[in-house]
Amino acid sequence: MKNFIANLGYFFKEAGKIIFSNKLSNIFTFLGTVLILLMLASVAAGWSVSSRLVGMLEEEAEISAFFREDLDEKEVLDLAEKLGKLDGVRNARVVDESEAYNRMKDILADDAGILELFDENPFKAYIEIRIDPGRTDSIVETVRGFKEIDFVRDNKSVLESINDIIKGIKTVGTLIIFAVGITTIIIISHMIRQGIYNNRDQIKTLRLLGASRTFIGFPFICVGLLMTVAAGILASLVMVLLIHKGYQIMGGSIPFIPLPPMTDLLMGVILTIMGVSIILGTVGSLFGLSSIKDQ
Amino acid sequence: MIEIKEVSLRYRDGTLALNNINLTVGDNELVYITGPSGSGKTSLLKLIMGMEYPTSGTVKVMGQEISEGKSEELRRLRRRIGPVFQELKLVPGRSAMENVMMGIRFLDFSGQEIKSYAADALEKVGLSHKADSMVENLSWGEAQRVSIARAIARKPRLILADEPTGNLDHDNAVNILNILASFKQKDTSVIVATHATHLIENQRNVTIIRMNQGNISVEKRGGDE
Repeated sequence: MKNFIANLGYFFKEAGKIIFSNKLSNIFTFLGTVLILLMLASVAAGWSVSSRLVGMLEEEAEISAFFREDLDEKEVLDLAEKLGKLDGVRNARVVDESEAYNRMKDILADDAGILELFDENPFKAYIEIRIDPGRTDSIVETVRGFKEIDFVRDNKSVLESINDIIKGIKTVGTLIIFAVGITTIIIISHMIRQGIYNNRDQIKTLRLLGASRTFIGFPFICVGLLMTVAAGILASLVMVLLIHKGYQIMGGSIPFIPLPPMTDLLMGVILTIMGVSIILGTVGSLFGLSSIKDQ
Repeated sequence: MIEIKEVSLRYRDGTLALNNINLTVGDNELVYITGPSGSGKTSLLKLIMGMEYPTSGTVKVMGQEISEGKSEELRRLRRRIGPVFQELKLVPGRSAMENVMMGIRFLDFSGQEIKSYAADALEKVGLSHKADSMVENLSWGEAQRVSIARAIARKPRLILADEPTGNLDHDNAVNILNILASFKQKDTSVIVATHATHLIENQRNVTIIRMNQGNISVEKRGGDE
């Protein structure tokens, strides 16, 4: 359309008239969209924090391989090197008896005095193998197959828990994003359909005058975009306040949770909300516009 | 301009609106379609606008055959027609100027042309002073003139007016017909459907189509009669 740019003002003005022609209903649509986007923003923020946590937990996923006592130091180092090269293994290193003793001392902290009851160091050297938690079973099986290995402590229940947390967060997050997307599209398309119904006479007239579907439909796309973008901005502002408050609370009372830098989290969440708002607004409007054919 | 050959139009409820009619309208013609209510005037105009399709026969308007399944061609054809609808079809909540501009925004005019063509059209129908008035605040006669302004601002090759004198007193009706007649130009034809036969009795250089129960009779009146 030669004069599309010249008509931009008209399109947005018409969009405003469509929105204000059904004020009450559209106010509730707007508030509903804000709440839905807030839910999405919460999921995005939670996902970001939990991804970081999960990433750290994944890094910590390990099994302990105890080797035969008759191996000399070089054989143990060679074994650790071989284990480190296995598929799914991040690294493998030897933890000698004294390191094992000190680690337990750190863990026991105030109760470490109990270790002094032993005449000798009761801990054996072992090889600490950091692994991909999703491949625990196959790696443990392979490590057990080495003739130099006596037994493997696989920490399976811990690793499975980590794996379940990862899967759970991803599944719930995906489901919520899916639900938010579909709900927003339905709400926006319903609003557009309502707008089309309210303006059906005008649409019929424009069609009789020879206006194209694009010309008739563009104000409705603007309506969807304006509503979702405005809702996205409001949801972003609320989220900024919530994240600020959350950092104050969590940073003080739960210091062991590894929060990402606040500006990174804010940028990520705001970009996600605004991007999703634009996409959902456009898709919802187009979906609603498809009903013009039926008029 | 318009070629109608052996056209019948029967609605789904079985009503025969047009019965095997033949009609040719050339360029630079002023045509009045008269007849009582229900005689088929509006049906004939709807057929020319592509709002109805013939049950049999062929209708060609500016070379474009009117038939189902040619929505894009019909859209292009409608852009060359200036319709004045019986029920006006103005958009409430908008000014007279906005209504006129709305009818031409999607044509191949620049932003400047849209404004100047709309202002010219309102001036031609004598409504420049009401350009910013909301259409719902205008009298029926004024609204009728806005509807005509919207039609002529499009620079159409064919103006179709359906009962433009309905609901108007005698003076306003004559005024409206005179305005419409003035737009007959070298390459523009004007077709006006009206049941007010007394208003066109003395018209010259016109074609009168009399309709009755879907049948037509055509009378061409010269200027020297």
